[in-house]
Amino acid sequence: MLKFLEFNIQLFAHKKGQSSTSNGRDSAGRRLGAKAADGEYITAGSIIYRQRGTKIHPGTNVGRGTDDTLYATMSGYVKYEHLGKDRKQVSVYVEK
Amino acid sequence: MIKVEVTKKNISILGHAMYDDYGKDIVCAAVSSIVMASVEGIASIDKSAIDIEQKKDNLNIIINKHDDITNKLIKTMINLLKELEKKYPKNIKITNKEE
Repeated sequence: MLKFLEFNIQLFAHKKGQSSTSNGRDSAGRRLGAKAADGEYITAGSIIYRQRGTKIHPGTNVGRGTDDTLYATMSGYVKYEHLGKDRKQVSVYVEK
Repeated sequence: MIKVEVTKKNISILGHAMYDDYGKDIVCAAVSSIVMASVEGIASIDKSAIDIEQKKDNLNIIINKHDDITNKLIKTMINLLKELEKKYPKNIKITNKEE
């Protein structure tokens, strides 16, 4: 019989499940990206592109929402275009 | 990390080795065994030579007598813990405040 201590060779081990990390949380994905493809016919008000910031800029007949979402301001065909050297924009034209 | 603080009057052993989960932590097993063997060894010779305070994550060994045997057993314990520290520096750290 021990005089001072209870016999336990895991005296200085942290208890099982006592995770020392405080990470392990993440928010749900925001499903960003294109909602209308190039050449697709869409109606006025339809969302074309969900984004944070202006990965793609609004072109002809396209508006930009407060959360940078791009949407058609009139019905027509979607056209993804280059804007200058290294930027992109999306427009909606009546004819293809 | 297990922190061992050595002074003339007491030895404080605080914290967890964090080498592995409970039941598989070999560093903790080594420290526990070295400490238990030393403490129980001293107590078997002279129970009044030391006192033990055991809190949740902290074991405090109070040295009441500095006789030859107690000193030798305490010194051996510290030397063994120092050897362990050399091999597992991330899991145990000894600070000697005697000098």
